[in-house]
Amino acid sequence: MNGARARILAKLRSAQLTARLPVADSPHDRPEPARGSTQECIDRFRAELTALGVDCYLEGSAEGLRRRVVTLVDGRRILSWDPDLLPYGLGSLVGSATLGQNVRERQAEAEVGLTGCDAAIAETGSLVLLSGKGKSRAISLLPPLHVAVVQPKGFCFSMGEFFQTHAEDVAASASCTFVTGPSRTADIELTLTLGVHGPGKVIVLIGPDD
Amino acid sequence: MPTFSERVRTAAGQYTLQVALGRATGQLGAQRAAAFSSLDHSDLIRDGARAVKMTLLRDLGRHLSRFEERLIANGVHVHWAETADAANQIIVDIATRRHAKRILKAKSMASEETHLNDALEQAGFQVVETDLGEYIVQLGGDRPSHIIAPIIHLTREKVAELMHRELQVPYSDDPQTLARYAREKLRGEFLQGDIGVTGANFGIIEDGSICIVTNEGNGRMVTTLPPVHVVLMGIEKLVPTLADLDLFLKILARSATGQKLTAYTTLVRGPRRAGDECGAEEMHVVLLDNGRSRILAGETAEILGCIRCGACLNICPIYRSIGGHAYGDTYQGPIGAVVTPGLKGLRDWKELPFASTLCGACQEVCPVRLEIPRMLLSLRRAAVQETATSPQLKFAIKVFARIASRPRVYRVVTRMVRAIMRRRATQGWVTEAPGLAAGWTKVRDLKAPAAVTFQEIWRRRSKT
Repeated sequence: MNGARARILAKLRSAQLTARLPVADSPHDRPEPARGSTQECIDRFRAELTALGVDCYLEGSAEGLRRRVVTLVDGRRILSWDPDLLPYGLGSLVGSATLGQNVRERQAEAEVGLTGCDAAIAETGSLVLLSGKGKSRAISLLPPLHVAVVQPKGFCFSMGEFFQTHAEDVAASASCTFVTGPSRTADIELTLTLGVHGPGKVIVLIGPDD
Repeated sequence: MPTFSERVRTAAGQYTLQVALGRATGQLGAQRAAAFSSLDHSDLIRDGARAVKMTLLRDLGRHLSRFEERLIANGVHVHWAETADAANQIIVDIATRRHAKRILKAKSMASEETHLNDALEQAGFQVVETDLGEYIVQLGGDRPSHIIAPIIHLTREKVAELMHRELQVPYSDDPQTLARYAREKLRGEFLQGDIGVTGANFGIIEDGSICIVTNEGNGRMVTTLPPVHVVLMGIEKLVPTLADLDLFLKILARSATGQKLTAYTTLVRGPRRAGDECGAEEMHVVLLDNGRSRILAGETAEILGCIRCGACLNICPIYRSIGGHAYGDTYQGPIGAVVTPGLKGLRDWKELPFASTLCGACQEVCPVRLEIPRMLLSLRRAAVQETATSPQLKFAIKVFARIASRPRVYRVVTRMVRAIMRRRATQGWVTEAPGLAAGWTKVRDLKAPAAVTFQEIWRRRSKT
């Protein structure tokens, strides 16, 4: 196996001598990542979500947001982040019985996945989910409905800005996922179909500053 | 395998294929154009992405070594494979050591290239493709015909028959229902998978992470649920930093499907960590050469900057007429015509560089501006140099040179040829030309020459 490594690297070293590659300009003049105020972020984010077919609610109070979650869940089985990690006191709503179990079959039975998010990207309408203790990756993946709660302080205008400002958080987790709308496919005659493997429906709640 | 011209003839004769291709490539092309119109600084971004790849390729070996260091630091097992067989063997060995039964796959061009499914099945493992299109390809014992839309060649009725027959589900040609059948069937597989195999859209050198983009979520399933995750990736799929990745993510989905981003963009940085409730416990990366170092050594080196978006397929007048299967291997369209001879050697793939009008549409839509027509021409030159020219052709060229260098002879001869051709023509077209010209009319008609030439008109006008 080490032999293969040495041979491939040797081949590449000699290939580089004869390779016909354009002398491209150095990539210094790339545009800076776009940024914006919180209000600009919220406006753009909502517009992008609408285009993606994601329902988005702007809640003025923590209490209103909790009521909205209760209505949306409507008594169905839920899988959620650890209560301590959920913002706006949502943790008090989710009973311990419904929490993330490490049994795959249990997780598969849940009807609603409830998460916060580690950041939100306005420009693309994306939720950023970093893996970590109490934030099982399956919650936003297995149930057919994903309800995500976004805090205004979590907004970045662009992905470039997110990578600049959250480098340490990204490095600290085994997985970083950008969720941009519901699961979709267009494999059969380019006909858009939602929810082929991941959630077919995503609902986003934007809470107040806290 | 049938010859190239046999494959083309088959494809050109299939009416439903022609209809399906026309619709799908037209729609994808239009979506791409709309998506780029909403991107600020798109030229700067494409130039930047091109510069990143070309700079990387100039020193690929050193970049790979650094990537390997970061992977190991993240707790990933790194393997190097010179050939397709070596890569398959590495993965078979991992599966054997883990006593795996069921192996789940997300869409991976690299694994299509190595025929990984065949190798795993021969070794006694069950392999399940989880991308909807690839799953249908697998059910039907078919081959994908487009880099990003594997079943672009199938109508919904064909898919409906196939699922009805293979899965014993009620017949339906509604895409929503067909996708639901697949979801229900595959959900069970996800929960019982022993190993997940994926490709990589990008490997990020600075932090040793693997970036996978999918729309269905199967890529997330396969990297999240099974206890082992194996990544099979070509050695060229690197980008130096997350800031560079941002450039590529801006152009990849836009070029492929016209989306700003695919539904899921996932960065995996090693096996699960303390406190994680899911994610693989064990992660492997197999770095695949399989002819790439040979491509790097030559005239087509820059093709290794390809990000597999498929935009050049959708715009190519040849691909749109003959579809993906006619290209005979894993990669289709303009990109396939350069990559396949590079990976497998020109000797058996000489026709592919000629399957192009050299119109340049591919280079125009390519997000990293690869000079595809230039590379096709250099492959054509190599193909001609390798082929012995027939004595008849040599003689004919010599005779033509003699005639063409003597204006008076040239005028007499062309007048004769013109008369012969006009006599053979029906309604302005020659369908069967004599002698060496017969090769031309074997596959297309030849426009009959005009009754009066430009020179004759010129002379007549100058006199009056």
